This record gives sequence, C-alpha cells and structure tokens, in this order.
Amino acid sequence: MYADTLPLSDELREAHDRALKKIVRPGPSWTGAERRAMVESARSATNCSYCAARKSALSPSHVSGEHEDATDLPAVVVDAIHRIRTDPGRLTRSWFDEVTAAIGQPAYVELVSVVNTSVIIDTLHSALDQPLPSLPEAEPGDPTQAATGDVVDAGAWVPITRAARDMADTGLPAVPNILRAMGLVPEAVALFFSTFRPHYSLKDIKLSISQAQAELVASRVSAWNECFY
Amino acid sequence: MLLRASGEKEGLDYNVTAITDRSKESGVAHGELLTALAEQTVGGDWSALRGTLETAKAAMGGQQAVDVLVVASAFNGITRVADATGIPLDENTAATTGSLRESVGLNDFAYEVKSARFD
Repeated sequence: MYADTLPLSDELREAHDRALKKIVRPGPSWTGAERRAMVESARSATNCSYCAARKSALSPSHVSGEHEDATDLPAVVVDAIHRIRTDPGRLTRSWFDEVTAAIGQPAYVELVSVVNTSVIIDTLHSALDQPLPSLPEAEPGDPTQAATGDVVDAGAWVPITRAARDMADTGLPAVPNILRAMGLVPEAVALFFSTFRPHYSLKDIKLSISQAQAELVASRVSAWNECFY
Repeated sequence: MLLRASGEKEGLDYNVTAITDRSKESGVAHGELLTALAEQTVGGDWSALRGTLETAKAAMGGQQAVDVLVVASAFNGITRVADATGIPLDENTAATTGSLRESVGLNDFAYEVKSARFD
C-alpha cells in the first residue's frame, strides 16, 4: 500500500485496503480465487502484446492473437478483462452480448466491478510511483449466489437499479445512471463505490482542488477513454 | 457537463471544448497542468508523469498535485464501468446538452457510433 509520507487521506487508504480484502472473498457468481485472478489478469493486460496490437488497430476486430495472461481463467473471461482494461472506449453491444451469452449478466457485472475497482487502486499506485499492492490470499468457499438487485430496463446493456428520478441540485438525478449501472449485483455496487467515494464527489468535494478542477480532470479522463456517459 | 455546471455555480464561463481540444484554454486554474496530469495518468505514461508531477507540485503545491491524480485514477475506473455496461445519459443531461455534446465531439463516443465503426 501507499507510503506514509504521501498526502492521501486515511479514508482513501482504508478504502483501498478493504477493497482488496473484499475482492479475494467469494462473490455472488465467482470464487475468491477467481476474483483474485481477475485482478492478476487485469494487471497482465497492461503488458499484453496482443492487447497493444489490437489497441493500435483501426478496429479491435481486425487483429487476432492470444492474450499474455498468467491466470487459468476461461478464455472468454480473460478476453473480457483485457478488453475492459486496455480498450474500454471500443466496447460494443454485440461484444457485450457475446460475453454475457457465455458467462451470464450477473457474473459479468461482478467482473466489471472487481476489475474496475482494481483499476482505480492500481492506477493511483502507478501514478504515485508506488509498487502495485500485493493481493491477499483468496478466501475459500463457493460463490455466495446472493440475490440480484431490484432492477429495471432503462436502455443500458444491463438492467440497472430501479430508482426514483428526482433531480439533485447538481443537475443530475439524485441517483444518476452511473450509480445504477451495476445494480443487478448489489455487492458489485458496494465494492466499486466504497473504493471510488474517497476520490470524488459531485459537489463539495473533500479534496484540496476545486470542484471545477476535479470536473476538468474527470472530463479529460472520460474523453481520453472515449466514454460517452 | 459538470464542468459547465461548476462554472455556472461560480459565476464563471469555462470553455468545455478544451476537454477534447488541447489547443483551447479551459479557463480553469492550472488547466493545462491538470490536463497533462490526467492524460499521463490514464495513458500510463509514467516517466512523463514524474516530470509533470514535479512541475505541478511547484505550481500548485504537493497536496493539490496529488489530488489531481486521486481524481484521475477514480475516473479511469468509473469510465470503464460506464463503457462496459452501456448506460445511457441521464435524461436531463441528454435533454440539455445536445448541442454542447455535438460541439465538443462527445457524440462520436455514442454506443451506436462505436458499433457502426468497430463491430
């Protein structure tokens, strides 16, 4: 984890520590070992030659090859993780349909949460020139098969959390779609947003930079990743 | 869109076209440094980031420079959640930002545009 001398809040440090411990526990659709392997796979993706070639191609479908990946996760899972990690701006509905036909939507949503929680943690470590944190040993046990959330078809690729559409003073709904996106799997929402929350808020941001500065950074990252939302 | 909202709240008119056009000035304090830090963080350009971070620490202070990375790393994750789940814009955003999204070039990132280009 982070050096004590870095000016990071205790809340952020503790959130990242808790997230890694949660990742290695069994989730609704995956074992702790599989969830831990997802993070290892996401880390492999950043050095994967096939991903690099695909990223530089005009279309990801123009390149074929094999991922460099140290895990024994199924090929479709490895490909999904590598695509989300290295080329998120070119994911398409038909790609999503292929992946979820193989693993199911709840398992996919859980994967999205685990991988992107690790993206936040690993990105900040690398940006601060810190070694990536070691992953705890996976906890034993079968997937919990926890119930799915109360969701609705709102035009996303996945059903999202049912929520009132009351507006907040931010100009967004009180529960914007990004908070609803992983609502099919409540544990996925909790894992990701408990990690995200110490980094940013829609108003009255608890950082030393202004809200406008945070929004400029957020907007530039979104544009860089070619994110529509 | 939230950048524009921040400007309205502060009584300032930020230039949101700077989000996608590096030749434009956003009007946000230290905007050029913020943009460079954001890009180098999500682009994984760690050696360039080392230098930019030192420049930013001198210009803004160490805490602020690090907090830029805190925000950038969070959005490196959350944009992937949005992209991987295909969530639509919130209704109010869709209704009120059409011309802005067009002028900034964000409509090029729409899911149907990506499907036409990459499937």
